[in-house]
Amino acid sequence: MQNKSITFDPNKKKGAPFMRRITKDRLFALALLTPSIIVTVMFILVPVFDSVIRSLQDYRIKNIIAGTPGKWNEFANYMKLFSNNKLLPSIETTFIFVGGVVLAQFVLGMAMALVLNSNLKGARFIRSIMMAPWIVPTIISGLIWMWIYQPQYGLLKYVVGIFSAGRVTDFAMLNNPATALLGIAIAALWKQIPLTALLLVSGLANVPEETMEAATVDGANAVNRFFHITIPYMKSIIKVTTSMSIIENFKQFPLIWTMTGGGPDNSTSTLAILSYREAFVSNNLGSGAAVTTIWMLLMIGVVILFNIIFKETKME
Amino acid sequence: MKKKQIIFTVIRYIIVALILLFLLFPLYWVLMTSFKENMEAYKFPPTFFPEFPTAGAYMKLFTEDQYFFRYYINNFIVSGSCAILTTFMAIISGYALSRFHFKWNKWIIAAFTSAQMFPVVSRMISLYGLMGKMHLINTRQGLILALTAAMIPFTTMLMASFFDSIPKVLEEAAFIDGAGRFKILFSVIIPLVKPGILAVGIYSLLMTWDDYLHATTLIQTDSLRTLSAGVSVRYLGELSYDWSLVNTISVIGIIPMLLLFFFFQKHLVKGLVQGAVKG
Amino acid sequence: MSKMKKVLALLLVFVLTASLGACGGSPKEETKKDTVPTDTKQTDVTQAVKEETDKASGDYEFKEPVTIKFANYGVLEAGYDKFWNDAKKGFEEKYPDITIEFMTAEYGQMLTQVVTWVGGGEKVDLVFGEASWIPTLADAGILMPVTDAFSEDYLSQIYPSMLEAMKVDGVPHGIPMYASPFIMLYNKDLFEQAGLDPNSPPATVDEMMEIAPKLAALKTADGNPVYPFGMTTASVAVSGSCLTSLIYGFGGSVLSADGKLDIDNAGFKQTFEFLKELDDKGYNPQVSKLKDLRNLFALGQLAMYYDQSWGFNGVRSINPDAIDFVASAAPLAGGQGTGESLIQAHTLMMGNNGEAQVEATKLFIQYLLTEDVLIPYLQNVAPGYPSMKALSEIPGITESPVLAGAIKSLDTARSATNIPTINDFNLELTALAQAVTVNDKEVDQAINDFKTAAEGILSN
Repeated sequence: MQNKSITFDPNKKKGAPFMRRITKDRLFALALLTPSIIVTVMFILVPVFDSVIRSLQDYRIKNIIAGTPGKWNEFANYMKLFSNNKLLPSIETTFIFVGGVVLAQFVLGMAMALVLNSNLKGARFIRSIMMAPWIVPTIISGLIWMWIYQPQYGLLKYVVGIFSAGRVTDFAMLNNPATALLGIAIAALWKQIPLTALLLVSGLANVPEETMEAATVDGANAVNRFFHITIPYMKSIIKVTTSMSIIENFKQFPLIWTMTGGGPDNSTSTLAILSYREAFVSNNLGSGAAVTTIWMLLMIGVVILFNIIFKETKME
Repeated sequence: MKKKQIIFTVIRYIIVALILLFLLFPLYWVLMTSFKENMEAYKFPPTFFPEFPTAGAYMKLFTEDQYFFRYYINNFIVSGSCAILTTFMAIISGYALSRFHFKWNKWIIAAFTSAQMFPVVSRMISLYGLMGKMHLINTRQGLILALTAAMIPFTTMLMASFFDSIPKVLEEAAFIDGAGRFKILFSVIIPLVKPGILAVGIYSLLMTWDDYLHATTLIQTDSLRTLSAGVSVRYLGELSYDWSLVNTISVIGIIPMLLLFFFFQKHLVKGLVQGAVKG
Repeated sequence: MSKMKKVLALLLVFVLTASLGACGGSPKEETKKDTVPTDTKQTDVTQAVKEETDKASGDYEFKEPVTIKFANYGVLEAGYDKFWNDAKKGFEEKYPDITIEFMTAEYGQMLTQVVTWVGGGEKVDLVFGEASWIPTLADAGILMPVTDAFSEDYLSQIYPSMLEAMKVDGVPHGIPMYASPFIMLYNKDLFEQAGLDPNSPPATVDEMMEIAPKLAALKTADGNPVYPFGMTTASVAVSGSCLTSLIYGFGGSVLSADGKLDIDNAGFKQTFEFLKELDDKGYNPQVSKLKDLRNLFALGQLAMYYDQSWGFNGVRSINPDAIDFVASAAPLAGGQGTGESLIQAHTLMMGNNGEAQVEATKLFIQYLLTEDVLIPYLQNVAPGYPSMKALSEIPGITESPVLAGAIKSLDTARSATNIPTINDFNLELTALAQAVTVNDKEVDQAINDFKTAAEGILSN
């Protein structure tokens, strides 16, 4: 019984010996956290901070090489981005891409999860083989889809030819500004749906069966049960999978860069591509950093907004 | 009612079949292409099964190509080390985050959460300069450290959620018995979060296996390159596409991770779900 | 408390060893982060000392072994790799004091990589790449003028037009190894099948459009369609250079000599009208990279296309028999133009990292430009026109099917205006080509959009 009176909760005052214990706890915790904090600060936060500073400066490759600091240039990097009609289309493309992929991923992942959760024959087996695309490296998944989309001898061209009864004979997904982003989105979905489906199917297992049965007895139909029982029970897992997918697709770079390089006619030029082009192709690090800063702010904004919306719906 | 149920079942099977087709057919396609002669691969309309199956591309890769397997081994070394290092750091830091609630925990969590979001492109130049000063450019150690840093925020918080599910009573009992803090952590608590450790380890292995930007920027020597970087520099060259070879490489590049995943998937799935729900 | 300190110390040691262990047999200094500042200082000092001794020693006698860091994408390309490795070996045998260390990155990333490397403190002594990289690298302060390293006498042996393409602010910043204007490669077999004379390729755009329907009607043995004319328009910088060449062929211009936008001319507009027409008729494989065109050409699905002469190496790696049907011709003349072309050179660019490095690099460049080393390469690996005047009369060059037909365009070819943002500008040019082709924009409208974007890039 006495054991319980000693606790790790630092808010309980227990006199002098306990104070010492708290100090020790603090030191111990700090020591355990130090390596992670050092690494995160050094390799992530400092470089990011550095890049935000640079976005306010006239900072080019030659500054790095000569070791001269950048010059404050009164937000010229940001003004330029707004004046040359590049930023807004990129933001639009980014949002279309992220929104589309996240939504499609959720719908398809949920459909898959629901089916797998119903006592389907071979569900376990399906669940494990469907994961294969998830572990394919991004670069290779880009290659696989480029091969399928290949305009002269690709599989998709053939399939489209058959389904359109020979009317469309030159379907080239990535060459058409109207479909190029869709082509990349499909490749992204291909790699990401499995994990979403897997997390959602595990979340479905948390929905208590008794509640479901009770609702069925009460005459609730499948749609009602889904929205009023399943979804609320899965709130936290949905939140996690969705925000993971928002972040991942906001950051998507290698896939787009290898598949289209931002073309055709800038139709797949997302903020990631724009910042890379400004910083590394135009060699203007300051203006590249300005794009990344806007990009990061937008992403943080979206994630925060998403969390707020989720909190509010929880209240209902 | 019965009729309705049958329709329902049919719909379910159709959904599964369609999504599975979408997910698995590309892999089948790559596998088939890898067994085609180059000239057959370029044939239109394409053949769904190689007319003259050949393992030529594989033979070429296994016997003539000296680079591919070096990239492969490098990737194992880098990802493996990352996984070990990340797991270790996630364990101790996750434990501290979960067990000791101080004012600054909030800030650490905020830092970790935001650190996950920053795009690699935005910090590459600074990172490069920084690592140059530490003489870590063009070394495996540097790449491992940089990748580990990228993995730590998420894995630490995942690990913390595992520790959250272990009752504190256990530690307190051990503390009364006179065990030191380290002993408590390593011999009492860690054995209880084994599934979490496995999940974190495999997750970071899979994620670092996928890295491209870090490796292309931080590594210049061909003999140190990892798979994604190596494949993109050597097989997507400027001159031409050799699609048979590219497909063969894709197949070989996927297989080991696939096996690893199937082997550990129960732990990984359980761990990720448990962590994700809590976190 | 002292126990706590011990624990802390132990923990730190543990973390350190753990990270060391994970790094697998790494030298200890590298992972000790806390000693970093002093470390850098020390190296700085030793470097200063080294440079001083170098200066004291003066010239060609290398007091200590020198390592040249050579940024080269070619080492990674099947076809080029053997040449570069052999060159390294041959040179190191000749000069045992000098070691060559390749730094590699893929072609498309090389320029960025060099900048990142130098920016991160890595010294790069030599870069192998396109002449169009020079302005960027020179602007970044990475390159040294070659007039500082080579004598007038040596430089005068190089074709002046090629050396011209190396100039930034009137000073050459690179040594061209070999050059090629964009030329037209065509498939003699397909010409014959279409009932055309394989030895008289079209010389003007109109002539080409006249024969194009005959070529478009052909099918390959597999029943695949044949494209009459290939022009690269994908989103990569080199496609922009190729488009510039096409614009020159129409007598147009893109940039003025002082790097300003100069596109209000008939040739520029006609070029994009031509591209639109090609696309409307389905003559040109859409949004293709040069390597896509090389694949199609190798497979006999493309009758004519624009490329640099060394692009044929990519054709050959897909289809070794392509040498039997390939021929080259001068680029087409369109509109009021005379079929001028843009010259491209594979270039050696030097960094300045102290006298010993520069001298060693210089020796290596001279070694590469000798007949024994360069000519077999140009004959067997990368067809191109050597930069040394003395080497141009060699039969292997004048008789090569890839080079012979277009040899005259070398004399009329122009070099690009050298601006630091040329790569991004070129990407924008491809976007314009894509706008009028796959995006079906009106040419005038698309050119206006291009102007806004291009001005933004040029003001960078």
